[in-house]
Amino acid sequence: MIVRAIEAIGRMFVEPMEELGRVTHIGGRGLLNLFIPPIRIRHTIAQLEFIGVQSLPIIILTSFFTGGVFTLQSFKAFQLFGAQGLVGGTVGVALTRELAPTLTGLLVAGRAGSAMAAEIGAMRVSEQIDALDAMAIDPINYLVKPRIIAATLAAPLLTAVFDLIGIFGSYVVAIYTLRMSYPDFMIRLDDWVDWDDIWGGLFKAAVFGLIIGVVACYKGFYTKGGAVGVGKSTTSSVVVSSVMILVSNYFIARYILP
Amino acid sequence: MSERIDPVTGEPASISYVNVHKSFGTQHVLRGLNLAIPRGKITVIIGRSGTGKSVTIKHVMGLLRPDKGEIWVGNDNLATMRDRDLRTVRNRFGVVFQDAALFDSMNVLDNVAFPLREHSRLRDREVVAKVRGLLAQVGLAGAELKLPSQLSGGMRKRAGLARALVRDPEFVLYDEPTTGLDPILTAAMDKLIVDTQESRPGITSVVISHDMHAVLGIADKIAMLVDGVVAHEGTPEYFKNSKDPLVHQFLTGSLDGPMKV
Repeated sequence: MIVRAIEAIGRMFVEPMEELGRVTHIGGRGLLNLFIPPIRIRHTIAQLEFIGVQSLPIIILTSFFTGGVFTLQSFKAFQLFGAQGLVGGTVGVALTRELAPTLTGLLVAGRAGSAMAAEIGAMRVSEQIDALDAMAIDPINYLVKPRIIAATLAAPLLTAVFDLIGIFGSYVVAIYTLRMSYPDFMIRLDDWVDWDDIWGGLFKAAVFGLIIGVVACYKGFYTKGGAVGVGKSTTSSVVVSSVMILVSNYFIARYILP
Repeated sequence: MSERIDPVTGEPASISYVNVHKSFGTQHVLRGLNLAIPRGKITVIIGRSGTGKSVTIKHVMGLLRPDKGEIWVGNDNLATMRDRDLRTVRNRFGVVFQDAALFDSMNVLDNVAFPLREHSRLRDREVVAKVRGLLAQVGLAGAELKLPSQLSGGMRKRAGLARALVRDPEFVLYDEPTTGLDPILTAAMDKLIVDTQESRPGITSVVISHDMHAVLGIADKIAMLVDGVVAHEGTPEYFKNSKDPLVHQFLTGSLDGPMKV
């Protein structure tokens, strides 16, 4: 009875531990491979193009309207006690510190992370990864490394765009819809938003990019079971990286960038 | 390890499996496999689905590691090799995968050129010339710029063969090269396997197949796997004349016999 209970408890931990081991293996080897030739610059640039450049339209659209709606709502609240002048600063700080990196992370996880997991997963089930191995080409070096690097670099760059366009969206709504004056909007923005806020947000975004790259590659790499397996890996890659982004965001805000 | 001689062909064995065991979870797939692959010959491994044929060739590429036993390629025991050294051994192999495993994102020429571009210092002009020559040999001249999705099953397998041969390997492994092909394409693929063997003296071919008609036509040696061990091995003549109920049932594809569905 006691032995069975202990076995049951053990089994509960075995699978998560195995999974943790595999994630660490992929992430660790992906990062270790940074220093192992071939460098694969062309692949990395192609991935940067896919994760970064091709995500630009969705980032621009989302950031513009996020800045706009946040301005609209905070204006209403601040108006209650006649402090409309705080809108610009509030939106600026919230965007650069939290909204831009987090929303960029979630969007990249949904758009690029899912595609990476699906592509690598399809390569796994159609034996293309075995073929790489059989050709004496390390699939981690060839497939995983460029994606992890590209995701880690692209996420902060996209976040910078999010910052810029988000504040522009806020500006447009504040000036043209809410009829705020230019100095009213700009003074607090200029006062409150430090370079530290912006760099902090970009650092977070890099961590989120790393999470997206590692999770997507891991889910794709260990795909099993044909088309159904590819679908599962894709969904699971988005869910896991989104949750990890939100959870790690809290801990970074609490302990690393208070 | 002292050189083993293949009992069937009398040739020295270039690959030897010695008491190899492999399990996946509770499924014990290879159960003490002993098999010698003779140098410079075509060995065909036959057996029902799920008897461990694919697992057997995945071991020789180092894609799987045995739980127990030894796998010798020349003087190297793959079972105890480090990953980095395994990669060196893999350079000696060309593999034709079941569904060709061509890279979807590349056209035929880039697919076939890929191993050369990764591993050799040849100029691209030389690579392309070599690839075009090989594609012509396998009957794919003119298909260089097509994507794998635009190829028929037979064309994909031939492109897979060209890719396997592009680095002039010592060993060519074929994982069910004729599965899914019509009888004429099957005959063409079989001829290609034999032509490849004859045009490259000294290479060793290992073919996994279900197609008994073709097996008897192309093999120098046949090994029949049953429940993870070699149940029978011999020349095509031996199999044709065998009175063993297992062999007879497999050759005739009969439902009556010791193997149950």
